[in-house]
Amino acid sequence: MPSLVSYIIVSAALLGIGIYGLSVKRNAIRILFAVELIVNAANLNFIAFARYMNPPTVSGQVIVFYSIAAAAMEAAVGLALILVAFRLNSTIDVRKLNKLKG
Amino acid sequence: MDLSVPPDITFVVLTTVTLLAAVMALQAKELIYGAISLAISFIGIAGFFVSLDAPYLAMLQIAVYVGAVVILILFTIMLVRREEADKDEAGETGESAAGLWLAGLLAVSIAGIAALAGPNLPATPPPANLPVSELGPVLAGAYPVPLIILALLLSGALLGALVLAKVDR
Amino acid sequence: MVNLPTTPADILPFIIAVVTSHTFITLVIFPGFIHLTIVVMFLTWYERKLLARIQLRIGPLYAGGPGGILQPIADGVKLIFKEVMIPYKADKPLFLGIPLALVFLGALPFAVIPFGQHWVIANLDVGLVFVFAVASLFPSMILIFAWASNSKYPFLGGLRSLFQQVAYEIPMWISALSVVMLAGSLNLVQIVNAQQKIWFIVPAFLSFIVFFIASMAELERLPFDLPSAEPELVAGWFTESSGAVFMVIFLALYMKLYLMSSLITVLFLGGWWGPAFLPQPVWFILKALVVATIIIIPRGVYARLRVDLLIKVGWTRLLIIALANVFITVVLLSTGVLSAWGL
Repeated sequence: MPSLVSYIIVSAALLGIGIYGLSVKRNAIRILFAVELIVNAANLNFIAFARYMNPPTVSGQVIVFYSIAAAAMEAAVGLALILVAFRLNSTIDVRKLNKLKG
Repeated sequence: MDLSVPPDITFVVLTTVTLLAAVMALQAKELIYGAISLAISFIGIAGFFVSLDAPYLAMLQIAVYVGAVVILILFTIMLVRREEADKDEAGETGESAAGLWLAGLLAVSIAGIAALAGPNLPATPPPANLPVSELGPVLAGAYPVPLIILALLLSGALLGALVLAKVDR
Repeated sequence: MVNLPTTPADILPFIIAVVTSHTFITLVIFPGFIHLTIVVMFLTWYERKLLARIQLRIGPLYAGGPGGILQPIADGVKLIFKEVMIPYKADKPLFLGIPLALVFLGALPFAVIPFGQHWVIANLDVGLVFVFAVASLFPSMILIFAWASNSKYPFLGGLRSLFQQVAYEIPMWISALSVVMLAGSLNLVQIVNAQQKIWFIVPAFLSFIVFFIASMAELERLPFDLPSAEPELVAGWFTESSGAVFMVIFLALYMKLYLMSSLITVLFLGGWWGPAFLPQPVWFILKALVVATIIIIPRGVYARLRVDLLIKVGWTRLLIIALANVFITVVLLSTGVLSAWGL
């Protein structure tokens, strides 16, 4: 079994990939991919800590249970928003969706 | 990391698959390939959950993420198609470099803090005793309020998504 | 684990030890690879014969042996020699790779389904959730395959199939919830062991009906077969597949049929329990074949259901009946009516 530090490093790497996608990509759906990756990184972190605590607790798994459900909801609503934005503007390039600015 | 002990082969394979699929999800030219890579990355994370003695959550992750969120994403990709909308762009060079620096610094700083705190963190897991039947009583007994709030949130999100995506005839 | 051979004289005992180990026998022979292949091929012949007799025909007759029993092999050989036509600008890797993934996912849950007290490949503690998690991957594969065919009819068929399968997953999960409450575990071996005195079809009759109808919808069998309806959609989501691709998809569909029949047997019909004059796995296979027969027969009898009515039934009526059965199960368990049978 690898040490807890290895799991934290994997989780941090996923977080980094997610933040790169979140800040650089123009396509709204790619940004959603990045958000899901960040949530998954956090879930992995929770489960790793819940396992390595002494004695192992089940609260970490409960938190991830809620997190998975909440992330699924957020993905559904986010995708509905992307659909509506596409219908009104014919584009999902987030640099062009700036009518609220200024 | 202690290198006198050979690294766990399962851990190495899972890490490679997950991180590679995550990168491919963002960098693939076609959005659908990106969605499939994202699904593979989710399955990798489910593999991590199994190796960390959380099999029920691993199955839940596959059923919810790969079985529902990825379907939603595929659906939206198919409905939001234009001729040039899928040619992916990395942004201007300046911006992608800034993104790499930001993400890199964040990830390295977190990993660095973890590695520095390494000697104080457990290196081998304590003997496990987390049967699946323990999850139920904790959910319903110790955390009933979040459970009800989650149910209400789910109904609200469902109705919201339906109302948003409705087409007025 | 066995010792690896170090000298040439050790190789034969090593091979014998591996071949007679429990893992190898369950994985390759029964209930693994060889048994699955034979039963799936038998099911294709069985369906054609059964439907033929319902429709006052004879069915396969000439393909060797009595009653055309080698017909599946003849079909396989014919399909292998046909040309695999890939539509213009279709996505080639996905088009060729997804049918294989479908077969893989159709066979994967058999790793946890117990055919006897010890005839199980992997006795997972979360076996039932594993089967449902894998079953939830099918709709997305079908959608991707339909999109990769780059053609109208498969895409419409794929969308309809997606809606239908997603709509009927929920009543399935909730009716399995009643079974889990009665058995007290997610482990499939323990669920069957809890049915030693009474099969769960008796206290959970409503959820048996819901699960049965939902599995017929998941398998896209008549009367739920609009995704592959001929007058409307040519052949639905596998219109563009021909030759070896079609053969692989065909195998995947029949593997899913056997999977659903086995799952119904495990959850409701008492698995392998039966009078002791036949060995346990034989009882299991007999019960699974009876369930498969009842799933196949409506294809020759009923008319097709319109797709919006079909989806409405899944989301509203079946869901309510499944929830009602959960309530009934809770009442039965808390009043201790079932304690005579050890539940």
